[in-house]
Amino acid sequence: MRRGLLLLLWLSGDVLLFIGAYAIAYFLRVGFLISTDFPIAPYLQTVIIVTPLWLGVLLSLRTFALTRIQTSIRNILYIFYAAVMGMALFSLAFYFTQGTFFSRLMLIYAGTLSFIGTLLWHIAFDQWQRKLLRGKRPAYPLLVIGVNREAERMITLLNEKQSVFKPVAILDSRGTSEKELAGVPVKGKLNKLEEVIKQDRITHILQCADLEHTLNLLTVCREHGLTYLLLPSVLGIIQGDEKVESIEGQPVTMVSQKSSFFGLF
Amino acid sequence: MQGFILAGGFATRLWPLTEDRAKPLLPLAGIPLLSHLVMKIPVGIPLTVSTNAVFADAFHAWAKTIKTHTVTIRIEDTEKDDHKLGALGAVRVWLQEENITDDVLLLAGDNYVGFSIADFIADFKANPLLAAYDIQDKELARAFGTVILNDADQTEVLGFEEKPAKPKSTLVSTGCYVLPKEYLSVVIRFAEEHPDNIGGVFEEFLKQQIRVDCRVFTELWRDIGSFQSYLEMHEALLEGKPLADPTASIDDQSTLEGSVFLGPKTTVKRSRLKNCLLFGNTTVEDCVLEDCIIDADCRLEHVDFTGKMLRRGSILTKKV
Repeated sequence: MRRGLLLLLWLSGDVLLFIGAYAIAYFLRVGFLISTDFPIAPYLQTVIIVTPLWLGVLLSLRTFALTRIQTSIRNILYIFYAAVMGMALFSLAFYFTQGTFFSRLMLIYAGTLSFIGTLLWHIAFDQWQRKLLRGKRPAYPLLVIGVNREAERMITLLNEKQSVFKPVAILDSRGTSEKELAGVPVKGKLNKLEEVIKQDRITHILQCADLEHTLNLLTVCREHGLTYLLLPSVLGIIQGDEKVESIEGQPVTMVSQKSSFFGLF
Repeated sequence: MQGFILAGGFATRLWPLTEDRAKPLLPLAGIPLLSHLVMKIPVGIPLTVSTNAVFADAFHAWAKTIKTHTVTIRIEDTEKDDHKLGALGAVRVWLQEENITDDVLLLAGDNYVGFSIADFIADFKANPLLAAYDIQDKELARAFGTVILNDADQTEVLGFEEKPAKPKSTLVSTGCYVLPKEYLSVVIRFAEEHPDNIGGVFEEFLKQQIRVDCRVFTELWRDIGSFQSYLEMHEALLEGKPLADPTASIDDQSTLEGSVFLGPKTTVKRSRLKNCLLFGNTTVEDCVLEDCIIDADCRLEHVDFTGKMLRRGSILTKKV
């Protein structure tokens, strides 16, 4: 629920920002006096028509996903791509509805402002959202399976980055003398799985060890409607060059040489 | 003599099979492991089975299936693994609360013993007695209580070490003991300090210069502590042959190789199963399963598994 409301707020912010960016571009180019040569009404009308399409582009790029790092190069490129798409859609929409073109500089202003504005808004909102979703009662309590260094690194990373996925408990199939790992309590062996899921209101399970239990952990996740996450190291993939791809519609985990030029395509 | 069977463990290493089932009630060749054990005990020895509150109902239901012995289910006041009395602690509480003054046949409920317990009891004189098995591998022996015998008198125990780092012997204790009534006070005192160390009580006997006797058996024995040992025991009991409950069904296009057990209401269609144990009420269609233990109420379609232990109610159907 919390996430739903936040997403709605985030999207609303984007809508206002996009319209605002185009409005500012208008005034920067035309001046702050109302022009009769290039009236604002049809201009804003077109912006309003284009806004949901631009938002659709952002949504299709999964820019709002909880797993997305807003400051990552990929995300910045996605937002840039959406801004360019916004400019293209606006030009087309304006031409189709008004039968004329307009100032190219205004379009560049609008595209630049919508890109920078969206990026800054997304970064700021993401930081605020992380704090909110990690609060005293986290929205996404994460159960870690396995007590090992990979698990410790992951927990430390999630906590350092203030991830919305907050590690709250650890279980280990073999049992361990450790009482906690990176500040997160070790609550016992897998026989406590059901109990921990209920007590800690777990929403995500992250498997960091015990490959032999994958099937059963997946069954538990399906039963409780939880999201299952797997560290590639459990499968022996440790170099960090893996990705989930699809071959003929069949999902596969792919590990390929990064240096391959053709791999980019 | 009175029998006391320890069945209070939570068997966490056998998760998920023991998620809602006690290890001694895991099926072997169609009947619970504990029933195999009870069948080896001479009729006339009253039995007390000690378990925890979580599995109380299951043990009460199991007790009703035993017609040959008088079975009392004793519930430890524990609902969680970390609140356990300890194996020896449970013995102590029973001895004291029930004021036991007989010799005690003490058995681990999660062990399969192929030998006759009547033969074992026949060796009981007046000294503490334990049954040992030559596991023939010092590495494996590290996980058990090891027994060092007197070379001259192969029935006298000279040393007992619980889970030693460097075993001196490959003879391991099988979780089958007789505690003479004369020494129950030693057991109680030791248990107060060491409620988890059942093997340690034999070290205590030796420390107090009490002679401990041993009977070495060569018949099949396993401590069912892991997926591997459970599967091995299943294979050993079925001797490489399939066994199916009368209510199980298998079609003409399926093959069963090696030790395969099909529990009640299991259906196998167009599949190949090798050395598998299916608890029951499960459908397997177009699958290849090898060395798998499948808990009840599962549905598997178009999947291949080797060496897997599946949770109750698993539904794994691959789109083809």
